[in-house]
Amino acid sequence: MEHLLEIKDLNVQFNIFGSTVQAVRGVSLQLNQGETLAIVGESGSGKSVTSKAIMGLIPNPPGEIASGEILFQGKNLVHYSKKQMQKIRGKEISMIFQDPMTALNPTMRIGKQIIEGLIKHQSMPKSVARDRAVELLTLVGIPNPEKRVDEYPHQFSGGMRQRVVIAIALACHPNILIADEPTTALDVTIQAQILDLLKELQRKRHTSIILITHDLGVVANIADRVAVMYGGKIVETGTLDEIFYQPKHPYTWGLLSSMPKLHSKAKKLQAIPGSPPDLSDPPQGCPFAPRCPYAMKVCQEHMPDQAVLSDTQRTACWLLDDRAPKVEPPETIRAGGE
Amino acid sequence: MAYYILKRIGYMLLTFFIVITLTFLSMKLLPGTPFKQQNRLTPEQLNQLMHYYGLDQPVPVQYVRYLWNFIHGDLGGSFQYGMQPVTDFLWQRFPVSLQLGIEAMIVGTIFGILFGVIAGMYRSTTLDWGTMAFSVVGFSIPSFIFAAILQYVFGVQLRLFPVAGWNDPWNHVLPVISLAIGVTAEVARFMRTEMVEVLSQDYIVTAEAKGLASSAIVMKHGIRNALIPIVTVLGPLTAAVVTGSLVIENIFTIPGIGTQFVESVVTNDYPMIMATTEVYAGLYIVTIFIVDILYGVIDPRIRVSGGGK
Amino acid sequence: MADIKVTGDLFVPSDIDHTLSEKIARKSTSVWKDAMRRFVQNKGAMVSMVIIAIIVVMAMIGSVLSPYDIDDQDLTRSNLPPKISTLSWIPLFDGKENGVDTYQQRGITKDFWFGTDSFGRDLWTRTWQGTRISLIIALVATLVDVFIGVVYGGISGYFGGAVDTVMQRILEIIAGIPNLVWIILLILVMKPGLLAITIAILATSWLTMARIVRGQVLKLKDQEFVLASRTLGSSGGRIIVRHLLPNSLGMIIVNTMFSIPTAIFFEALLSFIGLGIRQPEASLGSLINAGYEILQIHPYQTLYPGLVISLLLICFNIMGDGLRDAFDPKLRR
Repeated sequence: MEHLLEIKDLNVQFNIFGSTVQAVRGVSLQLNQGETLAIVGESGSGKSVTSKAIMGLIPNPPGEIASGEILFQGKNLVHYSKKQMQKIRGKEISMIFQDPMTALNPTMRIGKQIIEGLIKHQSMPKSVARDRAVELLTLVGIPNPEKRVDEYPHQFSGGMRQRVVIAIALACHPNILIADEPTTALDVTIQAQILDLLKELQRKRHTSIILITHDLGVVANIADRVAVMYGGKIVETGTLDEIFYQPKHPYTWGLLSSMPKLHSKAKKLQAIPGSPPDLSDPPQGCPFAPRCPYAMKVCQEHMPDQAVLSDTQRTACWLLDDRAPKVEPPETIRAGGE
Repeated sequence: MAYYILKRIGYMLLTFFIVITLTFLSMKLLPGTPFKQQNRLTPEQLNQLMHYYGLDQPVPVQYVRYLWNFIHGDLGGSFQYGMQPVTDFLWQRFPVSLQLGIEAMIVGTIFGILFGVIAGMYRSTTLDWGTMAFSVVGFSIPSFIFAAILQYVFGVQLRLFPVAGWNDPWNHVLPVISLAIGVTAEVARFMRTEMVEVLSQDYIVTAEAKGLASSAIVMKHGIRNALIPIVTVLGPLTAAVVTGSLVIENIFTIPGIGTQFVESVVTNDYPMIMATTEVYAGLYIVTIFIVDILYGVIDPRIRVSGGGK
Repeated sequence: MADIKVTGDLFVPSDIDHTLSEKIARKSTSVWKDAMRRFVQNKGAMVSMVIIAIIVVMAMIGSVLSPYDIDDQDLTRSNLPPKISTLSWIPLFDGKENGVDTYQQRGITKDFWFGTDSFGRDLWTRTWQGTRISLIIALVATLVDVFIGVVYGGISGYFGGAVDTVMQRILEIIAGIPNLVWIILLILVMKPGLLAITIAILATSWLTMARIVRGQVLKLKDQEFVLASRTLGSSGGRIIVRHLLPNSLGMIIVNTMFSIPTAIFFEALLSFIGLGIRQPEASLGSLINAGYEILQIHPYQTLYPGLVISLLLICFNIMGDGLRDAFDPKLRR
């Protein structure tokens, strides 16, 4: 079956101050129609860079897509020209950003910001576009949209601004919506509202969503499938249930353990000791090895292959090799998904 | 907003009042009398003259009288031109200075914005580097040195433009360029910084994500936002142009306030010194006020909150 | 591919030291060292600093290198073009004007490196003497300006409230008067000369400094490290000296670097319109003014003072820019 979006062996690098930072190293992903894929990882894991690569928004220089394919409806976006990419962006694939406080142009009325894309992609006359803007604002749940369409961003609260950003992203009925940490900058109560909105919009419009986040709580709430990224690589991917109930990679274990749990008796939050690898000098073996409590000699020297655990679950870890000692996941992940 | 404007007008008037007082006081402290050139005057004649001009009255009386006359539009008569009202000269010369200043500001701002936008868009290229090198030079070197160079090269050596006068449009070229170089340089520096800053903002990425063309992004989202803070440098720039024009007018023999001022300083023409000083001060104060209001009008964030920094 | 090399004996626990990954990769540097490092790396600023140093040295010793005094008038050698015998292959220093060797014509055997003015005074001596005067005015004006600005701005910002309001209103009103008007009125009242110019320049330049210091103090005094110090019982004086001033120092230095060229500029401007240094004393501005009057006949007389002042202004501005970038925390990585 053909995927809506398929990324094959994507490599993205940044040339900064004479050194090359390999931000994304051989990432492969698939996204199906109507599905929500969550890409999870800590800062610097390459998740945001992957999403920017899909949008063709890697700043060049210093960044470039070194190799790999991004197939959208079978067409390779990597080879698209700037002009062709502009036709994809906003129309086929849209993006929501992390910080709604800065994502909107402070000196432009929000109505205008919403319809810019419509006018560009659908050659819509301004008066019609304005009605569409009001419709979109209604859709994302902004009260009194006829009035607010003529207001400026600073007249909106953070949560309302994120709704506006979503309205902008949805303006042209995109096939794919990339949400880069859409709730990180918001209050917890607002976070839930925005997630509910995204879920509802997906139901109504059957849009595929790529959700970039470090928050497993958000993932559990919304995702169908999950890809865990670490050090520019996907270390584990699977359905929501697989990742939460049968995780196989020690990094996934660490992520799950570090989630705060309501019923846990532990007094301290579990943290993963250490910090992510320096990607200007990426480790030869598994990037997680230096922080992995189960690390073996082989982990430092060779990157493990993706082990196929089910139709949907793939995990890159030497622990899954027959020769490795059998390791049980720590008890602390248990409460994670419950 | 209305309250803010009222408050600003209040300040404007207070500042102007203080300027008037200061000019008056400094004239009283000046060494020498306006008649010292006329050596042939006998003491009696001198006393008569002093009495005639009210210079023998106590200073507070002179001050009140000065203010009274000022409010009624009477700035006194020029000592050097046989008591012809000073305002006559001002009306004649002020438009010339104003025209020179406005022309220089317009030319300078347009080129400054252009250079700044280009430099900001092509950051870290030779184009950027060249623009900024020009900008540092233009910003550092005083306008009267540019004026001297331009006058010598294009006026004297190449004979392309007239070296003096103001009546013909060709007369305007050299003085306006001399004054505009500094403005261009300053605006270009500022505009570049703002462009770089604005183009790195998240909302530019949002615009890119909408699929807008880069030219549209720079025009609609970049330049507009970068332009707003430019208004803040227009005030100081006006001051610089006013300062510069004082000398430029003398270099190119332009019949404006600047030449009048220098002339009156040389001849101790008190009323004229006071009047020209007040014109300069008034011009500056009003410009600062306009710039302030303009800033509030352009930036919707300030417009609504009704304050301003 | 990888499997070929993978052997069973590699599947043993590794001896990774987990504390290693917590190590801080780069040594921490102080704000000052960091700023200095960035400043030294700025080529433009370094070149500017060298040029300024050369000009300052010449201002100190330049006039001694020539046998003539600043006021050595001799009409027989008036308006001589620059001549340096050993460098006479350079058209600028061949002692010829419009193809005529004025030196030969008048039978003058000595060299005048920058030529002479209409009174026959040596322009080399006068240029460097003038530079000295211009620099002294700028330096004195700037130093006092820093002092007044820091005290005024510091008091205004530190005490805040009514004190601040009153002090700011005063400042606003003074700032509402254009610099030039202020300066010229002061010059007129005082006798034109070194002191008058210095005071006049000072009278306007301290405003900027006061504003910047006040802004810094206002920003800093509510920051947590100052509160912490206060909680620990530090006196007001200690907080000012130990916390507020050192943290504002970067901004103060940067602004000082911009005050110097402004002062040089105003001195030149005043001298140029005849309100500055009077003959026979010289400053860069008065030299340019004197040269300008005969620019069409003897352009070299304006060239050197013009060049020196342009270099000074450009270099001080580039250095100021360099320092500002060096201290700008936004660029800190």
